[in-house]
Amino acid sequence: MDISEKIIESAKEIFSSMVMMEISVSGDNMTKSVTLIESISGVIGLAGTHKGVLAIHIPNKVAMAITSSFLGMDVDEMNEDVEDAVGELANMLGGNVKSILSENGRDINLSLPSTITGQQYDFQPTKEAERIIIPFRCDAGEFTIDLQLEKIMISV
Amino acid sequence: MGKNVLLVDDSSTMRKIIGRSLRQAGIDFDNIFEAADGLEALEILEKEHVDIVLSDINMPNMDGIAFLREKANREGIKNIPVLMISTETGDDIIGEAKSLGAVGAIKKPFTPDKVNEVLGPLL
Repeated sequence: MDISEKIIESAKEIFSSMVMMEISVSGDNMTKSVTLIESISGVIGLAGTHKGVLAIHIPNKVAMAITSSFLGMDVDEMNEDVEDAVGELANMLGGNVKSILSENGRDINLSLPSTITGQQYDFQPTKEAERIIIPFRCDAGEFTIDLQLEKIMISV
Repeated sequence: MGKNVLLVDDSSTMRKIIGRSLRQAGIDFDNIFEAADGLEALEILEKEHVDIVLSDINMPNMDGIAFLREKANREGIKNIPVLMISTETGDDIIGEAKSLGAVGAIKKPFTPDKVNEVLGPLL
């Protein structure tokens, strides 16, 4: 199973068990991102034997729906709950990616998660990086998971 | 008398999720206290009666490992059991947590059944 398949499996598990939402892959993997419009990104850094960043990019409307499902209450504005929920998604995805890349998660440290929100922004690596962007869909809409790693072999 | 639990996680979302999972697992607590990091957790433990702590590892200000280390040095609270709930799965960090007194670990993401399986016998 290659790394993108493991990330897909991991994302499905997180959404199913914690967000109570089913998700599916909505297209082919990409290596270049598009400009993010009225979106929020949850971001977590990886360091150690593998250096990089994992991000989840979600349109605001979809993020609010995901947060509503996560918390079991209606969320109809972008607020701290949405930021926290998206950050926690990045945190759990990062934890699983860490285990995918390194036996038992050893030798890789995670940063604390953070979020970026905006009307229009780009999310690009500043250094050359291997990049996988996986598009997903849920009932509320589409989002992407974006893994950037320092340029080494990333298939496992 | 019912039992009290302290949830320690810098994510308010995750604290709500853990609370929800406890209810879904049929585990009732009289009081659910919350802390955003190890420092807040120690303050609560010094003031309130807590029967068990569920704690994340990666947190700002004072992480879960430092929390365990400091708790172990405080006579009045050192024996309160702590269960780690974290994205961390590495033998080294979980091993360190257990060497500092953690009674077990649950990996995020988790289901209510998993919470019941690990936490139930501790209550």
